[in-house]
Amino acid sequence: MSKKKILVVDDEVRFTQMIKLNLEAGGKYDVKIENNAAQAVKVALEMKPDLILLDVIMPETEGPDVVCQLREHDTLKKVPVIFLTATVTKEEVEAQQGRIGGHAFLAKPGSVDDLIFCIEQHLANAR
Amino acid sequence: MKSQFGKKLQVLIVEDHPLDRKILLNMLSSSPIGEFETRAAASLSLAFEEIMQHRFDVVILDLNLEDSRGIDTLQKFHRKFPHLPVVINTGSYQDDLGLQAIKKGAQDYLVKGTYKSYMLVKSLYYAVERKKAEEELKTAYTHLKETQIQLIQAEKMNVVGGLASGIAHEVKNPLATIIYGVEYLGTKLGHHDDQINLTLESIKEAARTADDIIKGLLDFASLSLLKKTPENLNDVIARSLPLVRLQCDRNGIEVKKALEPQLPLIKIDKNRIEQVIVNVILNALQAMKDGGTLTIKTEAKEFSRQDNGWMDRRSKPFRSGDHVVILDIEDTGPGIKEAHLVKIFDPFFTTRRASGGVGLGLAIARTIMNNHGGHIRIMNCESGGARARLIFRV
Repeated sequence: MSKKKILVVDDEVRFTQMIKLNLEAGGKYDVKIENNAAQAVKVALEMKPDLILLDVIMPETEGPDVVCQLREHDTLKKVPVIFLTATVTKEEVEAQQGRIGGHAFLAKPGSVDDLIFCIEQHLANAR
Repeated sequence: MKSQFGKKLQVLIVEDHPLDRKILLNMLSSSPIGEFETRAAASLSLAFEEIMQHRFDVVILDLNLEDSRGIDTLQKFHRKFPHLPVVINTGSYQDDLGLQAIKKGAQDYLVKGTYKSYMLVKSLYYAVERKKAEEELKTAYTHLKETQIQLIQAEKMNVVGGLASGIAHEVKNPLATIIYGVEYLGTKLGHHDDQINLTLESIKEAARTADDIIKGLLDFASLSLLKKTPENLNDVIARSLPLVRLQCDRNGIEVKKALEPQLPLIKIDKNRIEQVIVNVILNALQAMKDGGTLTIKTEAKEFSRQDNGWMDRRSKPFRSGDHVVILDIEDTGPGIKEAHLVKIFDPFFTTRRASGGVGLGLAIARTIMNNHGGHIRIMNCESGGARARLIFRV
């Protein structure tokens, strides 16, 4: 089975590196990092990711804006997006059953296990 | 027929000299203006009895009576009946005493033998109107002051709220990096080396603790959302105690409980109140590092004036006769410095910054109590140590 391609869009350079290390350690994912949200769509068009992990609050272009831009492209509009955000707590995410405003959310900091579980769930749904 | 001049006044004449009393009565009954109903008392204690039994608009008070003399008479009177306007009727050549009385809150003073009916009547009506205006002004001032305090508090909360989400974002990202980094190291290095596993676990725990502090800050923003249900406060205490048991054991603390068995139910958000109780207890334990006794007492009662001593002067949510449940948490530590007592509920005030205190525990506790329409106060006990009192409305 081929590795799933995951695009991580977050301006926190170190955090994205840690995500890449953790996700690739299991050998199931290929992870590409984009720290500049304005480049996110361009990179996504080239990469054709299976799933996108997206920070909410970033300078200039914010997460929800990126989603709107993605939706304009037929090849990208069905790619599942998981928001990663430091502005909600784990409890709040759980209380909303992991979705806020129709989108999947994960609280920062969370655990790698939670992250992988959430990714797998969304990949399965997208299939 | 008398001309119309204001409403009929109920006047109490407090005068021990029968002749002076008669002169005053005559002046009032023969006055061409005003209308009066008069009663007289020969001593201060008799005056108090009269006021307890009848309604008066104004009091004419001689300062030198058989049971009280001088300016003291006025002060005793004011302490008991602060809202009744007083006109002083003083002896000849005692203008200085009269003036002193004005400074102490009398509305006017008259010197015996120097005035006639017209002046007396004018003085009485004037006293009533001025006192009324004074009281209205006082009420308006109190209201203004309360509003100002609420505004300041709201502004503080605003700042804290803004700070909280700002800090949350800035700090949670590095925390996430630490936790993910440690988890990665765990998969690569751990497994068989206990010391590495312990180190990694410790780093992760520390990051989670930091995250908890941030959560405490964010708590502020959501404190007004309460899920209130009828609860027995004793049950909430019983649920809170296991959360601090470890710390109690570590500090060698004896926990004494004096819980009233039949407490009425109170409408509270039990999780929030549990948070308040745990916070207050943890503070008490910090003051008893080398052992001591923690006393937890509950009581249902009617709120009385003595309990008022426990209220913040600026916020008095309870009146005499209100049904309340009171929780006292008392320690046998060294007590709290006076300078710290006034700041103890301020956000970010802590005496334990060096050991990781952020100064939000009691600030949150007070906000929770206020949002319940309740009250929390911390004071030093006469026996040393400190006592936190939580008052809930039934």
